[in-house]
Amino acid sequence: MDLTASRASVAATTRTVPRGVTAASFVLGGTVLSLTGLTWDIQWHSDVGPDTFFTLPHLLLYSGSAFSGIASLVVVLLTTAAQRAGRPVDPTVGGRAVAVFGRTFAAPVGYLISGIGAASFLIYGLWDQWWHGLYGFDAVIASPPHIGLLLSITITMVGAVMVFAVVRSRTWGAAWALISLAVLLTFSTVTAIGLSQIDVGNLNTVTIGLSFLCVLIVVMGARLLDRPGGALGVAVAVAVLQGVYWWFSPWATRVYADSTGLPLRDYVVGVPGLPALMPMCLLLVAVVIEGLLVLGRRDGRSLKVFGLVAGAIGGLLVAALAPVQNNLLYGNGFPQVSGIVGTAVAGLVFGAAGGLLGVRFGGMLRHLAPVREGR
Amino acid sequence: MGVKKTVVALLGVVGLLFGTAGTALAYEPVNVVHTEQVQAGPYALTVGFSTWPVKALQSLDFTFVPDGGIADKSGTLSLARPGGRRSVEPDPLVRHPRKLDVWGLDITALPDPGEWKFTFTVDGPDGSGTGELVLPVQEQPGPPMGLSWAVSTVPLFGLVALIVIAWRRTREDTSV
Repeated sequence: MDLTASRASVAATTRTVPRGVTAASFVLGGTVLSLTGLTWDIQWHSDVGPDTFFTLPHLLLYSGSAFSGIASLVVVLLTTAAQRAGRPVDPTVGGRAVAVFGRTFAAPVGYLISGIGAASFLIYGLWDQWWHGLYGFDAVIASPPHIGLLLSITITMVGAVMVFAVVRSRTWGAAWALISLAVLLTFSTVTAIGLSQIDVGNLNTVTIGLSFLCVLIVVMGARLLDRPGGALGVAVAVAVLQGVYWWFSPWATRVYADSTGLPLRDYVVGVPGLPALMPMCLLLVAVVIEGLLVLGRRDGRSLKVFGLVAGAIGGLLVAALAPVQNNLLYGNGFPQVSGIVGTAVAGLVFGAAGGLLGVRFGGMLRHLAPVREGR
Repeated sequence: MGVKKTVVALLGVVGLLFGTAGTALAYEPVNVVHTEQVQAGPYALTVGFSTWPVKALQSLDFTFVPDGGIADKSGTLSLARPGGRRSVEPDPLVRHPRKLDVWGLDITALPDPGEWKFTFTVDGPDGSGTGELVLPVQEQPGPPMGLSWAVSTVPLFGLVALIVIAWRRTREDTSV
């Protein structure tokens, strides 16, 4: 793969090759399917149990990556064909086209990333199948192949964010860019469970990871749009997903269990697994970030200072309020004070890092296709 | 290939997928291949295992059957890892989802090798009783976990590489 030079003929044109909206919808739709399959699958294992390769939640997960992957492949092939035929290639469809395998393919960078994620999902699917053959159908999220699968889907979601970042100057593009960031954030709350494998005394590594990821992605939203509403838009979309999945996950699980004649487990907790993982304070975090952005603009502050301060406050809020949320939902009480304080301090530090990186990553997304804002 | 043929082929694939899914959805029965006995006060408890010997990370079905059945009884189970680390609080004994006439744990893996302690408390018509099973768990099969994690985090390193490339090719904006 050669990322050093674009050999595709790039020209500003009103014609899109292929039509950008359709392919982008398929990629984002695929990621939403994956996310929906994941929340359903988690609830299924928690409330009912038995696992096979062909459960409906699994089929949703697989088809999500298939949708995104096929759409990405189609765009790459059409772009390659257009380039070879000497037709202009619209850079607003997935970003600047880069040469892959020498000059064999011309791939818009966003679709290249989403396609690589889907291909990686296939490979890790085989790894997961081998793993289950050796270790059995253990329904744990934090197994190595499961984390490989989740990371692969994450890469597809990053590709989706890139695809929409390129068209952020259009209203629909900006809205979908924020929604794709929200999908990425929601999905990442599950991937963060892999951090439970890291044992750091009584610190909650999953909460610390969530603090980092939440701040990173919300600040990216703020920076990507570079106008009021970016951070809040991501947080509102996350809240909508949280609300919908709060209803959907247990409902779909009950309906599916009934249709297959399986009973619910004894002592089902009644709290939807994935939505309960998502920080409920994210709207508050986003409001703080929006406020800091307004103040920063007024006072002419540097982006680094903004990222650092917004990230630290956001990370602290997410980490400090996580035990409150868990106690409210599950009523298990609070962990040791030293653990809460240590986790909150780590959340502040990692949040600050997340804020700094969020500013930079948002800027990198903007550079995918610098466009005139506010159209 | 024409559009019609493509559609027919796609429908065929979908048909095969869902047509065979019914067979794949037939959940495995719980096959007990080994049992151990635990005396929990007045109650004799038979602990069943779907694979034996038990190996770390390898999931299996556990069944817990008190003499006389579970209908008039309740209880809790507490697991202690090798080295004495006990679970925070005991969990209630629940019916096995694929064998509803007994208590159990379905497709459960014990992560560490060594001696695990299963502590049962059973409440029933003869009062309450506690018993303990010491379960030897062998070393995990397959490659070392470090290697498995290294293989599985390749996409993460790929993502980091992408970020590094993008970082080096874009300038940093300075003011808000």
